[in-house]
Amino acid sequence: MALVVAAYVYARWNWRGLRADLGLGGARPGPDSPIEALPEQLLRSGPLPAPLFEGDHADIELRLTTTGSSRGPARLSGSVGGVEVSAATGVVPRAGWVERRTLGPLGRGAIVASNWVLESSDPLGFFRFRRTGANGEVGLVLPRFASLSSSPQARELEASVSAPRSGSGMELFGVREYRPGDPLRRIHWRSSARLGELVVREYEPPGVQTVGIFCDPHPPTREAADQVARLAASEAWDCIRGGGRVVLWAPGLEPSLPSEARSLWALLEWLARYPAPSTAHETMPSVTDAVGVTAGAAAALVEALETVQQRGGRIRAWVVGEAELEIEAPIQRVGLAWPI
Amino acid sequence: MNLRRFLKLPPSPVENSLQARVFVFLGFVVASVAVAIYGQDYVVPAAGVVVAAIGHVVSYRGRNKRRRLAGQILVAGLVMAALAYFLADSVLAIFGGILPQANFAILYLAAVFAWDYPFGILVALWAICLAGFWMTSHLRRIDAKVAGPIRPLALALAGALALGVIAFVFIPQPTALSPTPLVVSLPSFTSFQGEMENPALPLVQISGDPSGATNSIDLRFRGRLGDAPVMYVRTGAPAYWRGLVFDTYQGGQWTASNRSFVTFQPYIQPRSLPPAPKHNLGTFAQVFRVVRTLPGVISAAYPIQSLYAPVSALRRDAYGTFRTPDVLRPGQTYSVVSYLPNLSPQELQSDPLLPGNPENNPEYLNAQNLSPRAHQLAAHAVAGHTDTEFDQVMALTTYLQTNFRYSLQLGQAPPGLDPVDWFLFDAKIGYCEQFATAETLMLRSLGIPARLATGYSTGDYNPVLNESIVREHDAHAWVEVWFSGHGWVPVDPSPGFAALAATQFPNRWAAAGLASLIPHLSIGAPLAALGSLGILAAIPPAVAIALLVVVVWAWFRTRRWGRGVRAAPGESELLRLYENVQRRLKRRRAPPETPLEYQRAARGGPIEPLLDELTEAVNQGAYAGRWPGSERVRELEKRLR
Repeated sequence: MALVVAAYVYARWNWRGLRADLGLGGARPGPDSPIEALPEQLLRSGPLPAPLFEGDHADIELRLTTTGSSRGPARLSGSVGGVEVSAATGVVPRAGWVERRTLGPLGRGAIVASNWVLESSDPLGFFRFRRTGANGEVGLVLPRFASLSSSPQARELEASVSAPRSGSGMELFGVREYRPGDPLRRIHWRSSARLGELVVREYEPPGVQTVGIFCDPHPPTREAADQVARLAASEAWDCIRGGGRVVLWAPGLEPSLPSEARSLWALLEWLARYPAPSTAHETMPSVTDAVGVTAGAAAALVEALETVQQRGGRIRAWVVGEAELEIEAPIQRVGLAWPI
Repeated sequence: MNLRRFLKLPPSPVENSLQARVFVFLGFVVASVAVAIYGQDYVVPAAGVVVAAIGHVVSYRGRNKRRRLAGQILVAGLVMAALAYFLADSVLAIFGGILPQANFAILYLAAVFAWDYPFGILVALWAICLAGFWMTSHLRRIDAKVAGPIRPLALALAGALALGVIAFVFIPQPTALSPTPLVVSLPSFTSFQGEMENPALPLVQISGDPSGATNSIDLRFRGRLGDAPVMYVRTGAPAYWRGLVFDTYQGGQWTASNRSFVTFQPYIQPRSLPPAPKHNLGTFAQVFRVVRTLPGVISAAYPIQSLYAPVSALRRDAYGTFRTPDVLRPGQTYSVVSYLPNLSPQELQSDPLLPGNPENNPEYLNAQNLSPRAHQLAAHAVAGHTDTEFDQVMALTTYLQTNFRYSLQLGQAPPGLDPVDWFLFDAKIGYCEQFATAETLMLRSLGIPARLATGYSTGDYNPVLNESIVREHDAHAWVEVWFSGHGWVPVDPSPGFAALAATQFPNRWAAAGLASLIPHLSIGAPLAALGSLGILAAIPPAVAIALLVVVVWAWFRTRRWGRGVRAAPGESELLRLYENVQRRLKRRRAPPETPLEYQRAARGGPIEPLLDELTEAVNQGAYAGRWPGSERVRELEKRLR
């Protein structure tokens, strides 16, 4: 009887002091992952611990921590990205316990953790307690992309990304923190002295254009949506690499933020979540040129492209599949295969 | 096919647990050792262990293989055969199938009679194996490695132990058990032959003859009574274990005048025996285990409510004592449920002394063999206390207890002199028989019916365990006095014994009982227990010493940690990593060498970048107090791998 009572007390104590956590431990690039082509400078500002692309494998860390001394046993089970995962241990050390599981190859979109349950008990298994965890995102799988124009040399890439504001533009855009590669003459010494860290002036390069990449608001299939996202990401990458600005938008959806027009990671995140639930946002963002990427003949998309054209901007379009797009602009057709 | 699928059991994850199998096997080994020790059977347990080991190996190796139908039938057949053997052995082997349910009580006996410490150790080992199996199977079910937090587990176990001790101390111990007879032992099929005779009693046992040819007690002889245990008694209350009763005294010898008897079945139900006495406090059960050959007399607390003994029949003599057909042999057990009448002085004071012979037996008042001067002494002893029967009895008892000395070193009564007279007027020392005989006859001379009762005193009673160890020297004689309202009441005139002995339940709170137990615990019981362990006697002191060492070591370690400065987070991990890097480079940093000097000296190796960062981190920590976080150290560690 005393053993049973002690087992119950232990089980309660064990349950109260255990915390579970789920996180992304790292990524292993799949074949043809764009991460190989990205400059180091850009990768440093990417998502932590590493950006995840379609086709990559992700290391998911199942972590158990204790408050105070070692505890155990415990079992963590649930679903990550649609895959049932479980891990258990007899002892959770004071420093914590981590178990890694590899998922992949991954599909585009959020890796959602759901139905997570932390079970704990006494060592004999007489009494068991459980705690359910809230559903949440563990990571975000970005669409693959590749340069759709001729591949520039790596040094050019480095230069275009690491010093994006180093053109001869005279209009002061703002200040930002110093990044390695920034020319010393751009350092704003007064702000640096005030803030205690190096700050550089950020200039808008003259003649820079904001390209709108308008996506199909209702792609017919998941595969078509993935291909639309890949094309849009590739277009965005080419534009940013060329010093331009990009706004992503789909009729009915919230466009990407203008302040993130040169942030490849922010744009890729927007595309990772594409097509997001409709927000009835019909206002087309202001852009100079536009590229349409569609898998169907979406009237709203055609209308938006024509509006840009009427305002003097250049337009063109990518069509995934055989959809007919009634627009007077260059149209390129692709299938669902990647790379194209 | 569907039927086969239906019958197929789901795979058990425990089957794959090697550790769980090991614990199961060890549990079996422990049980086999117990059988070997207590059953004194060495072949079957050893063979069982070998077969079980082979079975486990075969089973473990073939756990993932597809089992053939023939193999499954073979295994099932073996299991069924073992079960059938067990049932047949349990039901048929002992009682010939007459009383099958009683056979299962033998299993219960094994636990009831876990008297000795080796058995306790075996039970503890078996419990450890069981707990180990539970733990490993539970961890296997949740797919975890077999490991556990040692300190919390140790604390939990210590807590369980403490909780058990506290519960044991504070929870009232049951003093009255179910009257159903639970105890059986190897039965004796010997039948009664001829008329009933009184067997030899320990008190006069000189030649060790236990068969019972003597039918009397002779005050001129006394047996050599040592310290060896005679029987163990599990009892709800301390009491005198009464055996034979005698009513006729002549020439220094006690005999029983009435040879009549009634024969009973081995289980005597309450309705076959006299009803509960008035003012009964309750009932309590006693379980006797005989460890030395004893006369065929059921020693128990009287009056008896029910009785069970594994013999062919029982006889009750005219004095209420039960006899068995044969001697009681070592290992024999029997159970008795007795009443506990309220025999307090207040109760007995109210009984008037009525004229006449109880049970129509004139011997109870026969004092013809008492000398006139002994008559006078009796009258003198109770002078001034003649209000009630109880007063006279107590006055005489007190007189004997205070004016005479108890001693086992008693010489022989001179020829021609009555032993009672010699005791009362010449020697003035004696042992229980002299005191009891003198009081019996003197009470009779006062007109109070009395008789001599023999048996055993309580023995070494342990109120916590509800256990009494009765030894040879506990053989005793006392007086039974007739009270009109309460029947035969035991009264003990021997000095050093309570006049009204053992007529109440022990304190229901074992905590209180524990205090009275201390002399037994501190001196007698542990030494006796250790002595009975043989070579195993080294285990308890070794465990105690080991525990002491661990506690002292833990205390010193805690003190050292308490005095020291607590390491910063990441500090110890970083320094450990730095040590590992030095080992990897096969060059240890010399004591006078600074980290920077060591870095310069060790340059050129494959882990030079790591060493650079590590040196920087060590310098930052050691000289600026900025130790890196654990994450950073882990990152560096990964690079070392």
